[in-house]
Amino acid sequence: MVSAEKRAIRIVEISLLVASILLFIFAEITGDTFYSRLATEALIFGGLALSVDLLLGLVGLLSLGQAFYFGFGAYLSAVMLKQVAPSFWLTMLVVLVTSALLGWVTSYIALRSRGVYFALITFGLAQVAAKVVYNTRALGASDGMIGVPILQIDFLFFRLDSSDPGQFFLLVFAVIALMYGVLRYITHTPMGAIWHGIRSNENRLAYVGFKSKGPKQVAFVIAAVIAAVSGALYPMLRGFVSPELLFFSVSGNAVVTAVLGGVGSLVGPLLGSVLLTFFKSVIGTWTVHHHIIIGTAFVIVVIFAPRGILGALSKRLASGSDRKGE
Amino acid sequence: MIEYLQFILAPQVVNGLSLGMAVVLMALGLTIIFGLLDVINMSHGEFYAAGAFASVSLLAIGVPFWLMLLLVPLILLPIGFLMEVALIQRVYHHKDRHILTLLLTFGVATVLEDVYKLIWGPNPIRPEAPIGGAIEFLGLILPNYRLFLMAFGGLLIVGVMWLIYKTSFGAIVRAAAFDRDMSASLGISVKRVYALTFSFGVAIAGLSGALLAPIYSAFPTMGKDFILLAFTVVIVGGLGSIKGAVIAGLLLTQVQAISSLYIPPVWTEPLVFTVMVLVLMFKPAGLFGGLKNG
Repeated sequence: MVSAEKRAIRIVEISLLVASILLFIFAEITGDTFYSRLATEALIFGGLALSVDLLLGLVGLLSLGQAFYFGFGAYLSAVMLKQVAPSFWLTMLVVLVTSALLGWVTSYIALRSRGVYFALITFGLAQVAAKVVYNTRALGASDGMIGVPILQIDFLFFRLDSSDPGQFFLLVFAVIALMYGVLRYITHTPMGAIWHGIRSNENRLAYVGFKSKGPKQVAFVIAAVIAAVSGALYPMLRGFVSPELLFFSVSGNAVVTAVLGGVGSLVGPLLGSVLLTFFKSVIGTWTVHHHIIIGTAFVIVVIFAPRGILGALSKRLASGSDRKGE
Repeated sequence: MIEYLQFILAPQVVNGLSLGMAVVLMALGLTIIFGLLDVINMSHGEFYAAGAFASVSLLAIGVPFWLMLLLVPLILLPIGFLMEVALIQRVYHHKDRHILTLLLTFGVATVLEDVYKLIWGPNPIRPEAPIGGAIEFLGLILPNYRLFLMAFGGLLIVGVMWLIYKTSFGAIVRAAAFDRDMSASLGISVKRVYALTFSFGVAIAGLSGALLAPIYSAFPTMGKDFILLAFTVVIVGGLGSIKGAVIAGLLLTQVQAISSLYIPPVWTEPLVFTVMVLVLMFKPAGLFGGLKNG
């Protein structure tokens, strides 16, 4: 008998997969751009929320500055594509390596502290990075950078065009799904078990004979890479980057998304991002003040359902199977 | 040399001092709330903005400035009280209460910022300062309102310290911060003390918003722009330490003001943040201890 939580995760995974395939088919048949681009954006910010969940849900570290790595990835990708070479693979490789390095270096600063101090120091790091980018002329300062070229992405047997909304959506889906799969895999390894131990009780871990520092650092670096890779996809979708990508609202949104979707479930943040993005788009047609509604929903979730949508779903599944058993 | 001191350095120091007063007032509320409740109040900046907007509206309907300074904290007290009782106390006994309260107050901040946009619009509103003009002192031009701000802020800081360290209410607050179970068993209603302290911190934030609106204007994101500096001050001074908040607040704003003469002003924030990182790295509890230590 699989636990209710695992079943809930499986249900959401399959629903997201099916929905994505349907959307792709829909886009290819009707030539739709609006929904494919919206869904692509939802997945990109879902990747950012995924990195928040890795730290918060798996390791118990609340980062209020993931936008730093997201923005880093986005800007690096824009610079690479515009000024070095319009190559998807080269850009991704460079982003992967440099963001891992950046995550590794900043982990020494951020991981010196715990709990709220960690939250504040990540907040501060991102804020400073945003200020620096905002004032750096070479990066377009407050205007950001426009004119990121359209890409022809070479796979061995076929080619994708980043200007084709359906094809690019599929590519982003594959990238996010790959990162999700890797994270899911890690949770089943000894490293995942140690993360779980850190989240439950970091001090006790030392008594059992494990160091927590290394595994925390690994989590931090992976989270930085996931955020940066997600960010790197952004200019390919929108054709521009702006310093707003590094602002606190982006980090904050990612935390909201992860918490609403279900912290610790990994798939919850992706679902949360899809729901929130579409919700904002729908509600955006009649008011710009969606933060009032989202913020209120967030407060209610934190108080009454701290494990978010996924938590509520698995609770329902559990009570359902109880009834069947009677 | 004299001219350099008089026309370049001194005005910078004065500007830094008036900003410092404001930061200290913000940091006071933050640090008291953290010292007692262990809550990082992410919505503190939004209450600062609430004070500024309340002052704008009160002045607009013809309330005199001095009465407004009294009314703003009185309006914010019950709001803070309600928020503590209705929201924060609900997650207080949770294992992850640090993170949960941080998330909660963050959610409240998100809502409030949008509410301000809805009511007052996104553009800065600047109320008229009640004291105009400036005086000249040793060749220095000192705007009167800034002088008033420094004096008033100084008095307020002294008043808060007096309240926390010299009154029986302050003794109860410190006792509850030191050992809440023992305080409860001595007959103190710890829950009410928490709610009162939270609303007190919120009221000070609102008051500083009202005081600063004539200088920095009122706009929906003003809280967010200011809170990083306030957090930095609180961390450097030591979370929960009043003395620390005052000293670190005045010191860091001077660092910012004076360094902006030598480096481009946009780099002063990274500089101040570097100070915070260094403090966190080598003295994680900050320069001074918590609320209970003084």
